Order: sequence, then structure tokens, then C-alpha cells
Amino acid sequence: MRLVVVGNGVAGVTAAMAVRARDPRAEITIISGESEYFFSRTALMYAYMDVMQRRDLEPHERKVYREQRLERRLDWVVDLDAGERTVRLMGGESLRYDRLLLATGSRGRRAEWERELDGVVRFVTLQDLDACERLTPGTRRAVVAGGGLIGVELVECLRHHRVPVTFLVREASYWPAALSAEEGAMVAAHLRAQGVDLRLETEIASLEGEGRVSGVTTRAGERIACEMVGVTIGVEPNIDWLRGVKTPPKLARGVVTDRAFRTSLPGVYAAGDCAEVAGRIEPLWYAAKRQGEAAARAMLGDTVEYTPPTDYNSAKFFHLEWTGVGETAAGPGRFRKLPGREASVRVIEREGVVVGFSMLGSRWNHRVLARWVEERRRVEEVVSRLPEAQYDGEFGRVAL
Amino acid sequence: MIRDRLYHDLTNRGVTGWVVAGLLVWFYVALYFTESLTPWAQRVGLSSKWDLYGLLYTVVVVVGGIGVIRKYGHNRYQVVRTAVVMFVQVVFAFSVPMLLKALHQPEYYLSYFWPLKFDYMNPEYLFAQPWPFVVYTLAASLVGVPLLGALFGKRWYCSWVCGCGGLANTAGEPWRHLSDKSSAAWRFERVSIHAVLGISLLLTALLFYSWFSGSKSPAVAQFQTWYGLVVGSILSGAVGTGLYPLGGTRVWCRFFCPMAALLGITQKAGKRFHIRVKEDMCISCGLCSKYCEMGIDVRTYAQRNESFTRASCVGCGICAEVCPRGVLRLENQSGLVQISGVSLS
Repeated sequence: MRLVVVGNGVAGVTAAMAVRARDPRAEITIISGESEYFFSRTALMYAYMDVMQRRDLEPHERKVYREQRLERRLDWVVDLDAGERTVRLMGGESLRYDRLLLATGSRGRRAEWERELDGVVRFVTLQDLDACERLTPGTRRAVVAGGGLIGVELVECLRHHRVPVTFLVREASYWPAALSAEEGAMVAAHLRAQGVDLRLETEIASLEGEGRVSGVTTRAGERIACEMVGVTIGVEPNIDWLRGVKTPPKLARGVVTDRAFRTSLPGVYAAGDCAEVAGRIEPLWYAAKRQGEAAARAMLGDTVEYTPPTDYNSAKFFHLEWTGVGETAAGPGRFRKLPGREASVRVIEREGVVVGFSMLGSRWNHRVLARWVEERRRVEEVVSRLPEAQYDGEFGRVAL
Repeated sequence: MIRDRLYHDLTNRGVTGWVVAGLLVWFYVALYFTESLTPWAQRVGLSSKWDLYGLLYTVVVVVGGIGVIRKYGHNRYQVVRTAVVMFVQVVFAFSVPMLLKALHQPEYYLSYFWPLKFDYMNPEYLFAQPWPFVVYTLAASLVGVPLLGALFGKRWYCSWVCGCGGLANTAGEPWRHLSDKSSAAWRFERVSIHAVLGISLLLTALLFYSWFSGSKSPAVAQFQTWYGLVVGSILSGAVGTGLYPLGGTRVWCRFFCPMAALLGITQKAGKRFHIRVKEDMCISCGLCSKYCEMGIDVRTYAQRNESFTRASCVGCGICAEVCPRGVLRLENQSGLVQISGVSLS
């Protein structure tokens, strides 16, 4: 089998390695124009914070690619011909495939007020990291717009470099997609304690400056002078490059696939953030890894019926850790702030049955929590058994 | 984490780092092979260069330990562990021997055991000591050390008691990320550390044989001198500590210490201490590997959902501390029985 993987992110590389594990004779080529080697995108912030070097972001020793005979191309794919079963690279080379995996991930969403100005950054790619590092020394204040997880990471990086940050969040409470109002308030207080100028219900109306950004004007008309603007209003499947190719696969919000990751084109599969699998996009590291493994099985000929497991996610807001499982936004649930510490637990229920958990400030085993959701346990039982799911370190068990 | 440590000259193998390494090696050479430090010792009222070294060592451990406790103050494991290692250094590795000396008794270091403290199992020395010390040494070295290693992992010694580990985990903290994470280093480590262990066992056996047979051949005496020079002075002193700014803080512990080798074997055999990996939560960021002082590529296990016990792991707990998703946890229990991430034991 000749396998060509477009994109060397976690979905693509996981799939390539999974194919290699089962098929020692497959010819496997991974193409990426962003980076020579697979790196952990989730660790971009640690490189920006200078606690990791670029090379440290690579999850595998470089010799692994040699040992596993995973060929790499530092290039961009510019054309896809499903009839000829070839992809053409910007450098001119054409590669034939028996199986093609599209794993081009996400890109940062553009805001309607954006203009081409130096100093306007996203925080998704290695090139974004380069731009941030270049701009940081000349920045007296940064504005970060968009209160998702990438936004708070960028804010933390900037604060690490002692850059004053104004953090603009559209919603009335912090990250309502997952957190309740009380939790949002706890995170907001935590961010403010780290010196972040957090403004809720604030959006940018326009950018100021010529050449380099010099400030933003909010919808309320306030002007904030700044030399950097972080645009972190979410991500979207990185699929625009497929619109112009000779034979585009069917596209909706992402590359449309069935539960076996098959696109509308024969022999062409898609997985990870760019894929819309049975109508659903899962733009998460864990999901991309899972999909990469499942797509590998599908490409090897197994029958695959991908169904996402119970949702879970985790995050860290500066020093405040968070674990969420199930339907964290389904209601206020039973919330309890833990005495004497910056921590809380929230058990979300529907008609007495547990449907989700949102835990701030201490460590939890999401597997145990997810199992309770899957087993439709009664909320009273779960509340009394919560210590079974705690995952704090030795001597550090948090009293509930 | 120390601000910008990766880009600081001193902590990223820059010119300052090399200069400090040079000074440290020079210091150890002066200490072990010359008497040039003796006048300095006498100037501060100490009788020998070793007392001066002990004093300096203790001060550095205490100062560094305070820094570590401030830095990881939110982590109870780090606070308790660091406090214990400082206490052991101040009391058992410094005050008790100094007190014994002041009372004109032999200086016993009750926190050091064979084979790290090699002489303590030299029958010629050991059986000339008062019986309580003989009993303590035999019981601790032959029973206590391996038993505790099997029950709690090598951490009970290497990162809670030992002076070498104590220095690494206190004053050495800013250099911990410099350990080599490559699989080549791991291969070298497995050969080198077990070779030193084999040599130290062989020498001990020869010394016992000589003692029982009542005649010591010059070859054994020479072997003993050579071991003291290479392992005791060069590897544990000049290389082990001198290379902090170049190879990280555990060069001696990881590649050469025979006691670490022995404890590593009991840690593996005991199957109780392990690092638990929470399933499917690793984001492969690599902070765990970067800050592992033993050069263990923790991320490789974490991203494969593999709970693990590595012989070299000293249980310092920093991987669990720096993990931004709370994936890693040091655990001490029998078995690794897991059903979808839920431990049954």
C-alpha cells in the first residue's frame, strides 16, 4: 500500500504509525509545509514561555521516522487528482497514493474586524509562535480577543514575559461553553490575580494603526493602545486549500466523511480537526489521536464505525486546573466551592441522573467520572462516591 | 519554573555554565587530591577540609531547599520530600558526625549505606567498630535498603535521604532539565550503572575473602585504591557534581551510583512503586520529559497510556508537578491492575 498523509499533526502521524505497526511493507509519506517533524501543538505555549525549546516539542525522537520508514516532505499540497490517484506538491513533485489521508487540522478563525497589520497574531501554528516571539520585545501592551482555551494560553505566555495584557471576552461570564457562572467567576478572579486586565462583554470593533497595529477600539467606543493583538476566537477546519484542487472531496464545515473516515473520493480519507465525521467536528487533541488510530484501521481494510466516547476535556488557566466530563454546559448542577482553597466541584444532573462533571482546582480521573455518566448513575450516589475519582498527588488529597 | 532558564547562560550550557562547571571540577580536584583547602578550614575554626566541605554542602542544600520549597509550595509532596532531605543532611550527614567527632568518637554517617558508602562493608573497617554500629550497618545495608526499595521504590533513599540526591534536588534544581533524554543515553546508563555495581560487589566479595582467609593480596589492595579513586573521587565528586551545569544534576546517580543500581533492581522487582498514567489525557507536551532529572522520556509512556516503573526513576515527582493535564501520579501499591484506567487495587 502506498499511503500519503497530508498534515503531520497528531491525527496524521498517529495514523501513519498505526498503519506501519500493522503493515511493514507499506510505503508511507507524510507531507507538511508547516514543520519538518511532528510537534505537539498543545505545547506551543511552553515554547513561548521558554520552558521548552522547539526540539522538545517533538513527541518522538527523530530516528523513529527512520526506523519506521516514515518518509517526510516539507512541502504544501497544491493539487489532488482522485482519478489519477496523485497529489501534487508546491515544489512540483507528484506523489501517487493507494490511500490518501487528509489530516490538515484547524486554523485560527478570522475576525471580521481584522486587517493585514503587523502585530496581529493567532496562536495555532509554529509560524504564529515565531511571530509572537518576534513581536514580544517591542510590545508595551497586548490585547487578546476571545476567551477560549487558546486565548488564555496566549495571555499566560504574555504575562510570563511581563507584558501587560487586556483580555477581551465577548460573553458575560468566562467560558460559558463549559463553565458555570460561579466557575467563570473563579477563573476570572484567578486571571485578575495574575495581573490580567480581563474585560467581560467586550468586543473589538476595529483595529488602529498603519503597518503595525497601534491599538483597538471596542464596540463600546473605548480605545486601548497596544502593539500586539491576539485573535483567539476559535478554530475552524483547515480545508480552503481543497476548494481549488482538480477533484475536491465533498466539503461542509469540514471534509465530510462517514464513520469509517471515508470522504466522497475513492481511497481518500480524512481525520482529525479537518474532518466532519458523520456531521460532527471534534477539534481536540485527544479526538484527533483517536481518529488517527481509527482511520488507520479503516485504511487497512477493517470495518470501522467510529463513535466518539463520552466527551471529556481538560485545561489549565494559569495555575488553575480543570477537568470536564459529559455535558458540562447542561445546567448549573450541584456546585460546591471547596473550603479554604481555590477549587470547586460541580455535578451536572438531569432528572436525578448524572450527565456531567466540571472540576476546578484539583485533579480528577476523567475515566471514573465518564463511567458514572455512561452508567447513568444517580446523582446522590455519585456525590457520595466522588473521592473514588480524585487524582491528587501523594500528601495532596483535597478534602471535598 | 525558573524564568527563562532555557535561555540563561548559566542554565543552558552557556559560557557561564561552562565556567561554573570548570570551577566545580577544580574545587573537587583540590578537595580530593590536594590539601589546599585545609588552611581555609582552619581559618573558620574547622579541623579538616572535609569538615569545611560538609559545612559548605549543608549550607548549599539548605539554601537550595528553601528555594525549592518556595517554588513548589503548592505541592505537598515536594514540600515534605524537600524538608526531609534537608533535615537528613543537617542532622545525619553533618551535625551527628561533627558531634561524634567533638566527643572523640568515630564519625558515623548514619544516612549513608553500602554500596554508596563503600568502606562501611569493608570487613577490616566494619568489624573494628563498636557492635551497635556493626549491627546498624549490616541490617541497614543488607536488609533495610533493599526492603524499603521494594516497598516504596528507590525514592525512599535517592530523593528523600541521600546527600547526593539531596544536593541535586535542592541547589541543583535549576539544572535538572539538562539530563540527556535520548534512548542512546538510556542504553549507556544500563551498561554503566550495572558495571559499577558489579565491580563494587566483586570488590566487596574480595575484601571479605581476604579478611576470612587472613591474607590480603596486593592486587586486592590496589583494586580497592583504584575503586576509591575512580568511583569515589572522580565519578561521584568531580563528574557527578562538577558537571551539573553541563549534564544535569544526576549524572552520578543515573550512570554510576552502585546503590542506585541496587535500588533500581529492587524497585523493579518490588512492583509497588510506579508512575501511573491517566488514560487518554496526555497532550504530548513533553514537560515531564524535559524536567525529568534522570533523563526518562516520560512522555513516551504517557502518550501510550502506559503506567510504568523505570529502574532509574528516583520518584522526585516533578513530572507529576509540571504535567499541565494532571496525567501523571506517583503511586505506591501492589500491582498495576487497571480496567479502563481505574485501579482496582
